[in-house]
Amino acid sequence: MAEQQAAATVQPQSTEPMDDAAQAPQQLGAAIVITSGKGGVGKTTSTANIGAALAARGRNVCLVDADVGLRNLDVVLGLENRVKHHFLDVIEEKCALEDALVPDKRVPSMVLLPAAQTREKDDVRTADMAALIAELRKRFEYVLIDCPAGIEMGFKNAVVGAQRAIIVTTPEVSAVRDADRVVGLLPAGLEPQLIVNRLRPQLVRRGKMLSVAQVDEILRLPLLGVIPDEPEVVVATNRGEPVSLNATSRTGEAYRRAASRLEGEQVEIEDYSAEGGFFERLAAWIGGRR
Amino acid sequence: MVTSGKGGVGKTTTTANLGCALARRGRKVVLVDADIGLRNLDLVLGLEKRIVFDLVEVAEGRCALRSALIKDKRFEDRLWLLPAAQTRDKQAITEEQTEAITRELAGMADYVLIDCPAGIEHGFRNAVAGAEEAIVVTTPEVSAIRDADRVVGKLGERQMPTRVIINRIRPDLVKTGDMLSVDDVCEVLALELLGVIPDDEDIIDTTNRGEPVALAEATRLGSIYAKIARRLEGETVPFTSLEPPGFLERLWGALAG
Repeated sequence: MAEQQAAATVQPQSTEPMDDAAQAPQQLGAAIVITSGKGGVGKTTSTANIGAALAARGRNVCLVDADVGLRNLDVVLGLENRVKHHFLDVIEEKCALEDALVPDKRVPSMVLLPAAQTREKDDVRTADMAALIAELRKRFEYVLIDCPAGIEMGFKNAVVGAQRAIIVTTPEVSAVRDADRVVGLLPAGLEPQLIVNRLRPQLVRRGKMLSVAQVDEILRLPLLGVIPDEPEVVVATNRGEPVSLNATSRTGEAYRRAASRLEGEQVEIEDYSAEGGFFERLAAWIGGRR
Repeated sequence: MVTSGKGGVGKTTTTANLGCALARRGRKVVLVDADIGLRNLDLVLGLEKRIVFDLVEVAEGRCALRSALIKDKRFEDRLWLLPAAQTRDKQAITEEQTEAITRELAGMADYVLIDCPAGIEHGFRNAVAGAEEAIVVTTPEVSAIRDADRVVGKLGERQMPTRVIINRIRPDLVKTGDMLSVDDVCEVLALELLGVIPDDEDIIDTTNRGEPVALAEATRLGSIYAKIARRLEGETVPFTSLEPPGFLERLWGALAG
């Protein structure tokens, strides 16, 4: 706990590109947990896409699948056939960390650290997870941790090594409620940022979906991104190709912009108001001014 | 119990709608929200303001089971909700306690539908403890099916009879080969099919408003849930064709097969 409090005060590293994966200890990377409470809102998809966007910007990125027993990040990245070891093997010293890391097919500066599929979340000790993430931070500029759904042991283990958090929600009452609950359960100092995923501007305009402004009013978190709902994401996920590597994809562009914001760039929040009504435009305008 | 492994595939929506569909048929139904700490079934049913006691308080003997049950007034005395605690965690209740509560509820109602939390941790083990039969909800996506398969394995270890509902299918994407078909999913999971529910934007809105679509049988989704309820009761009901299979679809099926 003391270690984690100390870690929470470490600022994310500078945006200077690094020469080498081996860094001086003072240049620790940023470990960011992607969480939501509710399942199926896009944690894994967001982890893969933001990771790929950061790697495409030249960052060294490690994606950690913390969903022991129900892993999916490997599938979303199209790496499921290349998984040899998993992070529990590393913790239990059955293999070296390097041997468990699966290099991405498309972006060379990104690797995946898979979860064990046939083990239980209770098999992972929180202290071991914290040590593993600390080790990864020495080697990578970004360590993105894909948290399992829920707030049980898997959540606690995913959160323990992180200094920052991204909360993913969809504009639905149940997802926003669960997100709000998770914000309350996060350790102090993680400064969560929000991704509103699967927005359908047409439904917002017809009053059938919460707007970004309405979500913001409940959660009151800095917006990292607004991702429109597109069937292409389902297709890309099934194929194992992150949309953020697709230059012409609208959702891909939204994820690339979220990645820029994660690096501290001032990028205007997406304005989908051409498809929405006056209030949506207003919300986008207000969002963009922050 | 209604379960899935992966979250967000429609467990809670399915539980609520199936409960309404069974209650419409005159059955007495209790819905149990087993998602302690992240409850949502109350919202989907529009009963969130009426919660007084919850599952954990019943388990701890701090209130009678009857006094924790919330009556859904839209169904006279046929549909009840046993809400989850919101500010406790899943460890607050044991498998033995859930089993005892479920058994007591089974004595009071024709159906007890248990809305399982996502994942396969303690919350899953609690939900499964009192169940006699499982409904696995999945969407036609690789990640959801993989998680469902994992859950099916866990249910198999307990010899639990299990059927599958395929949720949020988009016939247009299936047709273009961008989404797995019902047959593909059934082949992977090797489970009896209980229902197929198309992706419909009405669900988002009705869920946000706490008015399950199955309240009215006249809607497209309402009639689909009504059929699933009939199948659950042992009737043989033909599956609604989401769209008449076009020539190309049949050709694709033939080529893929």
